[in-house]
Amino acid sequence: MKTGFPWPKGAESVIALSVNFDADAYDLLSTTPERLFGRFSYGRYGVRTGLPRLLDLLQELAIPATFFVCGLDAQRHQSAVREIAQAGHEIASRGSSLGPVPADADELDMLQRGLDQLRTAAGTPVSGYRAPNGELGPRTLARLAQLGLGYDASFQDDDVPYRIGTTHGDLVEIPMCYALNDAHPYSARHTNARVMQIWREEIAALRDVNGLVPLTLQLRGDFGSTRGSRISMLKDLLQTLRADPGMMFMRHDSIAELVRNAGLPVEPDPILIHEDTLSHTEYRGDLAVRPH
Amino acid sequence: MDHSTPDQTRLPPSLRCAVLMTMDMDGPCHEVGRGIAPLGINSWGRYSPRRGVPRHLEMLARSGVPATFFVPGYDALHYPEVVRAIDQAGCEVAAHGYLHEAWDVPASEEEPLLRRTDDILRQTLGKPVHGWRSPSGRKSDLTMRVLKSLGYLYDSSDKDYDRPYRIRFGAAQDDTLIELPNNTYSLDDFPFFKFSHTPPSEVLSQWKAEFDGLYDNERYFVLTVHPRSGWGSGTPARTRILEELIRHIQSHEGVQFFNAAGFARWCLDNPNHLEEARS
Repeated sequence: MKTGFPWPKGAESVIALSVNFDADAYDLLSTTPERLFGRFSYGRYGVRTGLPRLLDLLQELAIPATFFVCGLDAQRHQSAVREIAQAGHEIASRGSSLGPVPADADELDMLQRGLDQLRTAAGTPVSGYRAPNGELGPRTLARLAQLGLGYDASFQDDDVPYRIGTTHGDLVEIPMCYALNDAHPYSARHTNARVMQIWREEIAALRDVNGLVPLTLQLRGDFGSTRGSRISMLKDLLQTLRADPGMMFMRHDSIAELVRNAGLPVEPDPILIHEDTLSHTEYRGDLAVRPH
Repeated sequence: MDHSTPDQTRLPPSLRCAVLMTMDMDGPCHEVGRGIAPLGINSWGRYSPRRGVPRHLEMLARSGVPATFFVPGYDALHYPEVVRAIDQAGCEVAAHGYLHEAWDVPASEEEPLLRRTDDILRQTLGKPVHGWRSPSGRKSDLTMRVLKSLGYLYDSSDKDYDRPYRIRFGAAQDDTLIELPNNTYSLDDFPFFKFSHTPPSEVLSQWKAEFDGLYDNERYFVLTVHPRSGWGSGTPARTRILEELIRHIQSHEGVQFFNAAGFARWCLDNPNHLEEARS
C-alpha cells in the first residue's frame, strides 16, 4: 500500500532528521540549577561533547536537520543554538521549558515565551513546534496556529505529513514514529546494534511505501545518539541512506512548505470529536507503563 | 443432544492445524477511554483507521487468508467506513469493548456496555456479530451469560489453554459458549514493541517458533496484533513480518486459516472433538 504522497521529483521517500536538544532543561525536571552535576550532567554532555560531533557528521555528509529547542535551553546555551543555525540547520520550538502542558489559560504565554527566547538565541525564523514528551493540550494546535507557526511534529498517526485545521488557521502535521526515536530503546538500555537493526528494518519498509522517515535523535549523553559509538553507527546508517538515489533529506520547514503547496485537504482538529467524551471520562493514565 | 465429551480437545486428522489471525483495532478509544486526548504521542490509535487497518486488509487479501478484527464500539462510531471496509474485504468484525475498558467494569455496567457495542456494530454492518474479545482480558462471572444472550458463538479472552474448548457457564443445556483462548505474552505484538523494543525480524522468528511448536502438538494457533503504530503492527515493517509469518504457516501441510466465527462454527459442528470446561 503506497502512500502516493507527492514527494519532490525523483524522491521515493523523504527523511526528516530531527534532533531534540533537551539538555539542561531535561535535567531541570528532576533537580535544581545548583545541582546540575553528576547524574544530572548528561544534558550538558549533549551540548559539550555530543553537539560538535553531530554537527561535524552532518556537515561531512551534507545532511540538513531540524533541531527542536526549548526556551530554557536556548537561554542557557545561546552560542550552541546559534552555531546550529549558522551551520544551516533549522531551529524549531519545544516550548519554553520541558515541563508538563500548562493550563489552557497559560499556554499561549508559555508558547510565546519559548518562541521569543528561541528567536533571540537563534537569530533565525522559527516556524515549527514539537511538544515536550509529545504531550499536547486540547488547545495546543490552535495556539500554535494563533502564534503563526506553520507546523507541529508531535503526532504518531500517519506515514506521511498532512494538514489540520484549527480555530486559528491551518497547520501541517509532520508525524513522528515511535520505533525511529532513539530515546525509547536507549532509555530501556538496549544495545546500539539492536537499535540499528530496528531502524534499518523500519526505514526500508517505510521507503517501500513512499513514506516519510522521521528519524528522531536526542543530543543527550544518556538516551541520545551522540556517544562516540552511537555517532559512528549513525554515520553508517546516514551514509547508506544518502547513497540511495530514491531518498532525500529535508528539513521540517521545507516539508511543511511542500505540504502547504501540494493542495492536500485540510482535516478537522482531531480533538473535536473526542472532547465531549473526554470531559466526562476519568483519567487513568497510560495502560501498562511497565511490564508485569 | 447427547454426545461424548473428550477430556482434552483433539482436532481430527482432517484438520491438521487451525490458524486464527486476530487484529484488535484499538483506535483512539484506547486513549480516550483512559481520559487521554489522542493527540501528540497519544495519537497512535489514530494510525489504526488511517493506515494500519487498510494496510492489514491489503496484506490479508494478498495472502489469501481471512482474519477477525475485534473493534471497540467507540472506534466503530467514529470510523464506520473503516469497519464496513473490514466486512467488505471478507474479514470478520467482532466486539472488543466500548472504550476499550481495560479495568474491572462494575457489575451494573457490564451488560449495558456489551449491548451498546453490539448495537453499534450491528448498525454499522447491518448484520449481527458473533463474538467478543475482552479489552485487556478482563472478564467477570457475568460475562459469558451476557454474550450468550447477545447471540454470540464465542469468546476469545481466556489464557488458560492452548486449545479451543467449550465453556459451560450454567446448568441449562444451552448454557455454553466456544472459548478461543489467546496468548498476549508471546503471541501478541504489544509486549515486543512496547516493552522489549524487539526488531521486527526477531519478533518474526519468535512467532515462527511458537507456530512450529503448536503445529506439532496442540494444532491450534492464534496470533493477536494491533494495527496501530507505537506498540502495534500497523507500520510497514511490522505488517511485512505478518505477511512473512503467514507464508511460513502456509508452507506447512494441512493448515487451515479461519476467522474466529468460522472456527467457532466448526467447533459447534464437531462437539465430539471439544473438551467442555466449567467457567
